[in-house]
Amino acid sequence: MLAFIVRRLLWMALVLFAISVLVFLIFFATPGVDPARQMAGRNPSAETIKSIKHEFGLDRSLPVRYGLMMKHMFITRDLISYGSHTRVIPEITSAAPVTLSLVFGAAIIWIVFSILFGVAAAVLRGTVFDPLLMILALIGISIPVFWLGEVVNLITQSRLHDSFLFSWVPPLGYTPLTQDPFMWFKQLIFPWLTLSVLYIGFYARVLRANLIETESEDYIRTARAKGLSERRVLFRHTLRTSMITFVSLFGLDFAVLVGGGALLTEVVFGLPGVGLLTFNSLTALDLPVIMTTVIYAAFFITLASALVDLVYAWLDPRVRLA
Amino acid sequence: MRSRSLFSLLVVACLAALVLTACGGSSKKKSSATSSGNAGGTLMTVAKGAPSGSPDPQINYTLQEWQLLVITHDGLVGFKRASGTEGTKLVPDLATSVPKPTDGGKTYTFTLRKGIKFSDGKELKASDVKYTFERLFKIGSSPNAGTWYNVIVGGDACVKSPKTCNLNQGVVVDDAKGTVTFHLTKGDPEFLDKLAVPFAFILPTGTPNKEVQIPPPGTGPYKFVEYNPNKEIKLVRNTNFKEWSKDAQPNGNPDVIIQKFGLSAEAEVTQVENGQADWMFDNPPSDRLSEISTKHADQVHVNPLTAVWYFAFNVRIPPFNNLKARQGVNFATDRNALVKIYGGPNLAVPTCQILPPNFPGYKPYCPYTKNPGSGKWTAPDMAKAKQLIAASGTKGASVKVNTDTVETDKALGLYFVGLLNQLGYKATLQALSPDIQYPYCQNSKNQVQFCWSSWYQDYPAASDFLNILLGCGSFIPNSNASPNIAEFCNKPIQAQMDQALQQGITDPTGANTKWQAVDKAVTDQAPWVSLFNPKYIDFLSTRVKGYQFSPQWYFLLAQASVK
Repeated sequence: MLAFIVRRLLWMALVLFAISVLVFLIFFATPGVDPARQMAGRNPSAETIKSIKHEFGLDRSLPVRYGLMMKHMFITRDLISYGSHTRVIPEITSAAPVTLSLVFGAAIIWIVFSILFGVAAAVLRGTVFDPLLMILALIGISIPVFWLGEVVNLITQSRLHDSFLFSWVPPLGYTPLTQDPFMWFKQLIFPWLTLSVLYIGFYARVLRANLIETESEDYIRTARAKGLSERRVLFRHTLRTSMITFVSLFGLDFAVLVGGGALLTEVVFGLPGVGLLTFNSLTALDLPVIMTTVIYAAFFITLASALVDLVYAWLDPRVRLA
Repeated sequence: MRSRSLFSLLVVACLAALVLTACGGSSKKKSSATSSGNAGGTLMTVAKGAPSGSPDPQINYTLQEWQLLVITHDGLVGFKRASGTEGTKLVPDLATSVPKPTDGGKTYTFTLRKGIKFSDGKELKASDVKYTFERLFKIGSSPNAGTWYNVIVGGDACVKSPKTCNLNQGVVVDDAKGTVTFHLTKGDPEFLDKLAVPFAFILPTGTPNKEVQIPPPGTGPYKFVEYNPNKEIKLVRNTNFKEWSKDAQPNGNPDVIIQKFGLSAEAEVTQVENGQADWMFDNPPSDRLSEISTKHADQVHVNPLTAVWYFAFNVRIPPFNNLKARQGVNFATDRNALVKIYGGPNLAVPTCQILPPNFPGYKPYCPYTKNPGSGKWTAPDMAKAKQLIAASGTKGASVKVNTDTVETDKALGLYFVGLLNQLGYKATLQALSPDIQYPYCQNSKNQVQFCWSSWYQDYPAASDFLNILLGCGSFIPNSNASPNIAEFCNKPIQAQMDQALQQGITDPTGANTKWQAVDKAVTDQAPWVSLFNPKYIDFLSTRVKGYQFSPQWYFLLAQASVK
């Protein structure tokens, strides 16, 4: 088991290294990219550009530049953004709570509702409610989050903002939980709902399929034969087993979102989280921020995938030996 | 200020007619309003993102930050805080008067006003001025240190070795008398203008000689207390400020000015409509123009800008190294169609020349129109265009039309792809990321044949357009920093420019007549297809009173009242 853990962690470090090198090379291979020129304003002298190049280490060879960037990111932790000329690490650490607030809230909503919908659809199989619920789920999966977010904003912030229904909706943005918990909740409720719609649909469908599959297992038949009530069979046996796929999917999706995958939701709702930071850095070709957000996201994703693998290995010895 | 992004979201024309009847009317009504209303309250403003670049006042080169810096800091001289052409006048700010240069334009002597304090309580001294200018070089990344301020004696040495910069010879100060004398290596007719922009705003001695993360103390009526590029900028009153000149630095109305970041332009419009924000920095997106102009006409203000949008021909490579070809394309261009793409006739005015209206040296001139003579563009002349292009012998040549990927700019590029194909060329579009496109076009190595660009004034001087964009010295081969995209260098015209620059030191009015002739001569050589002069839309909440638009600093935030 220990060897497996060490192997998995080494693999994770290798993936992070490969991703960072790839991002770095793609950036500098882009035709016309010249960060020093970008930083120097519209009519700089050659000396000014040279001075900026020197200051940011852009006059060094590519491997040295990469090494310097990693040093500033991980060792001295004073990597400077090409765009805002501010330190990148504090930017990420101040953006992370916003993303975590968004993702945690949405995750709670999507877990509750997807279980409800999934179980209801499985239980009501054969009735009109099953296809109806699944169609609703399919619609949820199909609606792009940026479109749904804009429509929600159009209704709550613009068209019906002055009506009794939505006059309580605060302006778009983010207020820290520690500063004003009620405002934090009010500003996040629509982003939570919007982000969770896709996942409710997806998870409900997965859960329904697993529930139906488990239904035909021998041990369920045995449970029923023992004379257990339908409710007990469903919640103690069928649902518990069916949740394995659900939980492993959740681990990865959650990590992707914490890593900045909620980018579109953050952009649409003006939430200054890691996603918005990533979006802004990409549009401004701000390599230090792109690099940091990519490594931050990759870290969460590889960590979650490693954890999932470890859990599998713990559950199934065949994986450990593979 | 090259603030193309300000206009990047104005697209498609179909809404324009609607918008602009309402906007145009309101502009005339409101723009001339003078400061009124009560002091107090918070002016809440919103913007998509923070000003790009360092927060340092000697480095940042954006209108967005300059609009704030002009109310937190002062120069020795400043542009009058007023709307219309009044707003282009230089007035004494920290100095008691605007000096006349002596020694053939090489010496300027200022006397500082007494009793002015920085927001940290320190009194302003003459030595702060020297410190400020040495710092400008010492930080090493001030964009114009090597192009504007190296004219100060010792400046060139400072550009070469910033760390050891010493301006003992160039900026001579006397703290006891409160005098500051600048010695220049040669006469510079725009030196005073350059002292009136934020790079030259005076900072207290002891400000770190490296980039700062929040603008340091200044002498204006406000001070920065927060600068978070991902969240907001916050300005509060500087309690050490006492108004010394209403023209240069009037006291402000709001107690607090906040600029929040992270919203889309769509969301910004909604917040202003709801009264959750008082002003949006970005231009409203085109799909909201009709809504705001019909429902909120009184809150919309449209003002002309001293700026020009253009496509530059590369005059050194085929096919546009041929004058007739360039003139032909100019004749064929339907500038009304381009204005429509930008947003409609009340958001932009067609032009054929380099200098924008209401600018020193401007005289309407348009040879590339049907029935020329009035100076105004009226309609394309396709017959003449085809005749010129046939005579040029360039038909059939391949042309890459280069723009950035911003929707409006790309649409302008596509218009030219169609037009050039119609004229017999084989045109294709090359659209690049906005952060790459400008330096890409500038580098002669990339052999860009036809490139979209725009230019917004730094200060009101004809050379800021003509010499910077089309002077021989502004073409630097194989460099990403070569603002003369057309690679245009005409020796006789350059001689005229040099004469105008020289005359401007002692006789600015006479020099402007010379610049007029330069503008005409350059336009005849057709290094560009000048498209139009844009206008700017300000959208305000209902509670904002006292709107004023300065041609130099745009909406004067501190003069607005929210009480």
